[in-house]
Amino acid sequence: MASSTPLGNRKKPAFLPKTVSSQLIIIILLLVGDAAVGWVISQFVSLGYTPLAAAFFAIALAVNIILLVKKAYPLRWMVAGLVLMALFTIYPILFTVWVSFTNYGEGHLITEELAIQHILEIKYLPEDSKAYSWTAFKSDSGDYALWLIDAEGQPYLATEGELIAQPVPGQAGIGELDADGIPVTIEGYQRLNSILAATDPNLSNILFGQEDKTIQVRSPQEAAELVQKYVYDPERDVMIDQEDGTVYSNLRGTFSSPTGEVLKPGFIANIGLENFKRFFVSPALRGPLVRIIVWNFSFAGISLVLNFALGLLIAVLFNDPGFPLKKLIRSLLIVPYTVPALLTILVWRGMLNPELGVISRVLENLIGWAPPWFTDQWWAKVAVIIINLWLSYPYFMLISSGALQSIPDEYYDAAQVDGANGWQKFWKITFPLLLVAVGPLLISSFVFNFNNFNLIYIFNGGGPPMANTPTPAGHTDILISYVYNLAFSASRGVDYGFAAAITIVIFFIVGTITLIQFNYTKMWEEVSENV
Amino acid sequence: MKKILYTTFALALVLVMGLTACQGATPTEVVETQPPATEAVVTEEPTEAVVEPVATLRIWADDTRTPILQGLAEEFLNEYNVELVVEDLGVVQDIRSQVIIAIPAGEGPDIYIGVHDWLGSLVDSGLAAPIDLGEKAADFESSALEAFTYTDGNLYGMPYATENLGFFYNTDLVPEPPTTWAEVLEIGQQLQDEGLVQYAIAIGGDPGYNSFPIQTAFGGYVFGKDENGAWNPDDIGLDSEGEIAAVQWMVDAVNAGLMPETTDYETAHAMFESGDIPFLMAGPWALDRIRASGVNYAVAPFFPDEGAPFLGVQGFLINPFSENVLLAQAFLTEFIATDSVMEELYITGNRPSAYSSVLAMTDDEDLKAMGQAGANAIPMPNIPEMGSVWSAWNNGITLALTGDLTPEESMVDASTQIRDLIKGALVGMVNLPGSYQSLAGCGADWDPACEATGMTEGDDGMYTLTVDLPAGDYEFKVALDGDWGVNYGSNGEQDGPNYTLSLAADGTVTFVYDPETHLVEFTVE
Amino acid sequence: MSEMDKKQKPFKSQSARRKISIGVRLIVAFVLIIFSIFPILWVISASFNPTGSLATQTLIPAHLGFGNYQQLAASGDFPFWRWFFNSIKIAGITSVLSLTITTVAAYAFSRFRFKGRKTMLRAILLIQVFPTLLALVATFLMISQIDDVIPFIGLNTHAGLILVYLGGAMGLNIWLMKGYMDTVPRDIDESAMVEGATSWQIFTKLILPLLRPILIVIAIINYISTYGEFILARVLLKTSEQYTLMVGLQIFAGAQFDQRWGVFSAGALIGALPIMVIYLILQDQIVGGLTQGAVKG
Repeated sequence: MASSTPLGNRKKPAFLPKTVSSQLIIIILLLVGDAAVGWVISQFVSLGYTPLAAAFFAIALAVNIILLVKKAYPLRWMVAGLVLMALFTIYPILFTVWVSFTNYGEGHLITEELAIQHILEIKYLPEDSKAYSWTAFKSDSGDYALWLIDAEGQPYLATEGELIAQPVPGQAGIGELDADGIPVTIEGYQRLNSILAATDPNLSNILFGQEDKTIQVRSPQEAAELVQKYVYDPERDVMIDQEDGTVYSNLRGTFSSPTGEVLKPGFIANIGLENFKRFFVSPALRGPLVRIIVWNFSFAGISLVLNFALGLLIAVLFNDPGFPLKKLIRSLLIVPYTVPALLTILVWRGMLNPELGVISRVLENLIGWAPPWFTDQWWAKVAVIIINLWLSYPYFMLISSGALQSIPDEYYDAAQVDGANGWQKFWKITFPLLLVAVGPLLISSFVFNFNNFNLIYIFNGGGPPMANTPTPAGHTDILISYVYNLAFSASRGVDYGFAAAITIVIFFIVGTITLIQFNYTKMWEEVSENV
Repeated sequence: MKKILYTTFALALVLVMGLTACQGATPTEVVETQPPATEAVVTEEPTEAVVEPVATLRIWADDTRTPILQGLAEEFLNEYNVELVVEDLGVVQDIRSQVIIAIPAGEGPDIYIGVHDWLGSLVDSGLAAPIDLGEKAADFESSALEAFTYTDGNLYGMPYATENLGFFYNTDLVPEPPTTWAEVLEIGQQLQDEGLVQYAIAIGGDPGYNSFPIQTAFGGYVFGKDENGAWNPDDIGLDSEGEIAAVQWMVDAVNAGLMPETTDYETAHAMFESGDIPFLMAGPWALDRIRASGVNYAVAPFFPDEGAPFLGVQGFLINPFSENVLLAQAFLTEFIATDSVMEELYITGNRPSAYSSVLAMTDDEDLKAMGQAGANAIPMPNIPEMGSVWSAWNNGITLALTGDLTPEESMVDASTQIRDLIKGALVGMVNLPGSYQSLAGCGADWDPACEATGMTEGDDGMYTLTVDLPAGDYEFKVALDGDWGVNYGSNGEQDGPNYTLSLAADGTVTFVYDPETHLVEFTVE
Repeated sequence: MSEMDKKQKPFKSQSARRKISIGVRLIVAFVLIIFSIFPILWVISASFNPTGSLATQTLIPAHLGFGNYQQLAASGDFPFWRWFFNSIKIAGITSVLSLTITTVAAYAFSRFRFKGRKTMLRAILLIQVFPTLLALVATFLMISQIDDVIPFIGLNTHAGLILVYLGGAMGLNIWLMKGYMDTVPRDIDESAMVEGATSWQIFTKLILPLLRPILIVIAIINYISTYGEFILARVLLKTSEQYTLMVGLQIFAGAQFDQRWGVFSAGALIGALPIMVIYLILQDQIVGGLTQGAVKG
C-alpha cells in the first residue's frame, strides 16, 4: 500500500497567495479550537478515558499540521471529513483490534477496577453475629438512628458510635411503640419508611453501633453486623477471603481459587492471541467454514452482477428524453429503495411462505409445485439472491443514471460518424466510461453484499441448517452471520473478543480481494486521466 | 444558473449549521409539546413547591410494562419526592443487548426488566444485584422465585409474571382435548380424511422451545440436574433415548402428512386461526391474535402424555452499579410488590402473575388452563451454558424434520455440537493445574487452562509434561478441557485430593498421565 | 443508445424501428414494474388492513379501513409525527453535510496531485471493507464518554447521531464523486487558472454546477440510507421523543409484531413519501442531459 505513492503530473496547486490578515484569522481560530480541544482532552484524562483522549489529541495534532503546513494544502479540503472518519470509523476499528486480544464478552464485560469494587462490596455475616430488621429515624441535622429488632424480637436503638440495648419508651425521647414494637416518634428525629430512608444513597455505608461490631443496612428488610468478605491485594493481584483465607488469583479475567471456585463478576482481561487461536486451531470452528466462504463469494458476486446489470439496463433503457411515461416508470422502479428493507424483507418472507405465501400458492395453482424456499438449500439461495436483486437494483439505477450524464455527447457523435450501431456504442463507449465513475462502487457493493448481514438474518437467519457440521451453521449463512451466531448466540452469551478476532480475519480476506480488484480500477483511473 | 446553484449550496450549508446548532435545545422544546405524565409532572412541580426531587430512579421496561410504570411516577414523586424515569426499550428480549452495553459504560438504568434465563450471563458479568425480598418473599409463587435464584443461592430478580406454552385445540373440530400424542395424530388423521383440516398440528416457532412438551412427554430433556438440584451442563439430554423418540414421533407425523416440515410462528398460528390445523401449542403472547381471529378454541389444562413446557419468568432486576441500589430495592419491595400494581401488571401483560394473591384471582380461563398445564413446567435453565444450546438444538430438530438426517443422527450431532461449544476452544486439553504453575510459565497458579502446562499426547496414548522446578513443596491435579468441570485427584477419582510433590533440590520433573486410569506418575531428575 | 435514436429520426424506417424499440421497452418496463411494485402492494394492503397478519393477508384486505393511519395520526400511543420530523431532520442534515464533505474532498482528490493521494484513496476503500460487527459497541462507548464532557453531542442527542453518520461521509461516495469529476475536462480549470481564479473559485463557480446530476444522486442515496438506519440510532437515542421513525416504529411494532404489522406498514409508507416526492421533483435533474449545456454555458 505504502509503495503506491502518486506518480501523475506534479502540477502545483494553484491558490491565491494568502493575505496576512486571512492567515492571522486562521491562526486565531486554530488557537481557539486548540484551546477548546485541549480542555476536552484534559477532561477525558481526568475521567480516565485515556484512549479517547489520545485519539482526540492525535486528531487535533493532525488538524493543526494540515492547517499550518503549506504542503498539506490539498488536505485542507477534506479536513472535516477526515476528522469525522478518524473518530467514527477508524477509532471503532482500533477498538475492535484491541477487543480481539481480550476476553471482552458476557461474563467479562466490566473493567477489573469495577469488578474489584463490586467484589469488595460483598459482605458476610460472621457466625455469632446478629441480623436485625430496621426502621430509620432521621434528625433535622441529617443524622440517622436505627430502631433495630433482632430475631428474638428484642429492640435496640443504634446511632453512629452507639448501641442502646433494651431502649424503653419514655426514656431518651422515645415515644409510644406501635403494633410492630417500633416507636411512633423519637424526639428530635423523624421516622422514615424504608423508601424515604433509602433515598439517601449513603445510608448503606453508615456504620451504626460500636466500633468492634458495627451494623450496616443491607437491604430494605435487614441490617446486620456485616464484615467485608474479600480483601484485594494489589501487589499480587489476588482476592483474599476474610472468612477462610482462600486466595483467589486472577486467571484471565476471573478471580479463581486453587479448587476452581471463582468470584463473580469476571472482568476484561488481555488474553493475547487466544481468540485467533481458537478460530484457527479448533477443528470444531473450522468445520463449515469453507462451504460458507464459497457461498459468501458466490452470493456477493452473483448479486453484484445481477443488481448492476438490471440497474444499468433500466438507466440506459429509459434515459431517452422522448420516451413516453419515463418519469412515471422511473418513479415506480425506484420504489423498492424507498421503503425500509427491514419491512420489505419481511414482506418477501411472507410472500414466499410455503404454506400461506402468495407466490407459493400461485405457483402451486399454476404448475402444481412451489419451490421449498426455506427448506431446500438451493432454493433458499435463489430466494436470497432474488430478494437482494429487488432491494438493490434501484441503487444501481440511480448511480448509473447519474454517471451516464458524465459521458459527453461528442463521443457518440464520433461513433456515429464511424457507423457504429447501438450495441457497439454501448460496449465501446458507454460501458467503459461508466465504469470509470462506478468501478469503485462495484467493489464496494461487492463488499457490502459480502457482509450483508441484515438480509440473511431477517430473511431466514442463515437457514436451512447444514447437516453433519461440528458447529451450528446454515446453508445461506454468510461469514458475518455465521460469526454472529458463533460469537453472539451460540456460545456462552455474547463473546465480543472472539467476534472481533474473526472480524479481523474476515477483513484480511476481503481486504486482499479488494486490493486485487483495485488494480483493475487503476486501469480505469488511467482512462479518466486522459479525458 | 450557476449562481443559483452556488447560492443554494451555500444557503444549505448555513441552514444546516443553524439546525445543528439548535440541536441542544430540542429536549426542552419537547417538554412543552409533549404532555405525557412523567415529564409534565416534573416541570410543573417547581411552581407549587420548589422542591427538587431527592433522587431519580431510571427504569428500562418493555413496551407493555412502560405505561404502567409511568403511571406510578406521579404518585411516587408526590409521596417520596423521587422521580421515576421509565424508558421503553420495545420487546423484553431487546433489553438484554442494551443492558450489556450500557451498564459497563456507566449508562445503565437503576432497574430493568428481564427474563430469568439471562441470569447466568448477567450475574457472571456483574450486571445484576442480589435482591432481598424479606418477608415479601412469601407473597410470590415459589417456582417464580426459584427461577430467579442463581446457582450461588441469591435471588437476582423480583418476578412479576410467568409464561409457558399451552395446548390449544379448535373446539369446533375437537370437542375434548386428546390425552396422548398418538391421539393427536389419530384425530388429525380423521379430520384430514374428512377434508376438514390440512394437518394435525404445526410447531409454532423455533422447534426446540416450541415442541418441548412433545420432547418431555417422551422423556427428552436439555440439561440434567446434579444431586443438589442445580443444572448440570455436563449432562446433556438431547441425544437421550426419549429425546430421539420424540423427534422420531415428529418426523413420522411429517412423513404421514400430519405436520408441516416448517416450524414457523406465522404459519402455525395463521393455520390454527383459520381452522387448517386443530391443535397448536402457543404461549400467552399469542392470545390476543388468536382471540381476534374469531376461531373457537379452548386451552387444555394439560399437555398430551403429561409433557412439560418450558417456564419463563419475567421480573425486575437491579443494576449493581446504580447509586441507588437500596432505593431501587425499596421501590420494588414496597411499591411494586403490592396487590394493586401486581394486578395491573397482570391485566395489561396478559400473563399469569408471579404474585400469589393476583394469581389466585385470575379469572381468565385460558391463562388458568395454561397455568395448570404448566404446573410441571421446567424453568428454562438459567446457567450461561444454555446459550450454547439453542442454535444446535433447533437445527438438529429441523434437519430431522426435513429428512436430511435421521432423528438419531441429527440429535447426536446437535448434542456433540453443544458439548463442544460449552467446552470451548480447549476441548481435548489435558492439564496439570497446581501450585507450581507460576514457576512454569503460567500467569498464576492453579490455572486449568494455562497452555504452558498443557500435556502432549504421545503415540502410546499417554500424556506427558516436563517442567524444570526449583526445590520446594508443590501440589497439583489433573483437569480436562481447560476447566475444572472434569478433574481427577491423586486417587484417580473425580474431585479427588491433590497430588503432592516435594523437591529436595532443583530438578526436572516429568509427568505422565494415563487417560485410562486417570492417574499421574512423575519422575524427578 | 438514446442519443443515437434521436439522431436517426430523419429516416422513415428508423422511425418505425424506434416505435418497435419503444414498444419493447414499454413491455420490459411493465414486467419490471410488476416485479418492483408487487411486494409494495402488500405493504400498502397491510397498511389498510386493521387485523391482518404477515402471512394471511390478502392483496385486497377483507376489512378495508384507515384504522392504522388513524392510529398514527392520532399519536395517542406514540409521537409518530415527532419521529417523522426527527427522521426528516436527521436524514436531511446528514445528507447535505455529508454531500458537502464528499464533494469538497473529492475535488481535492480529483484536481490536486499530492503525496499519498492514491494511498489515501485506497485506505478509504479498505476502511469501508472492515466488518462493522463491533462498531456499535465502540460507538456507544465513545459517545457515552463524550457525553460526560460535551453533552450536546452525547447520548440521546440528534447532533451526536448526525456526527456518527457523518463519520461515513468520507466513504465510498467520495469515489463516485471523484470518478464523476474526473470526467469533467481539465481544460476548464486550466483556462480559469490562467485568468487568475483560485481553486475555490474554480470549484464553486465552474465545477460545482457541472456536478448537479451526481450531487442529487448522492444526496438521495445519503438521505435514504440515513433514513432507513436504525441500529446505531436505536442504541444512541434513548427517549421516545428523540427517536427516529425507524427506531420508533421498530420498538413500537416489534413488541407485538404480528398485531402491529399494519401500523408498521402504514408508518413506513408515510415515511417513504418524502423520498418519493424528492425523487419525483429531482429526477429530471439527474437524467436531464445537463452536462452538455452546462459545459457550454
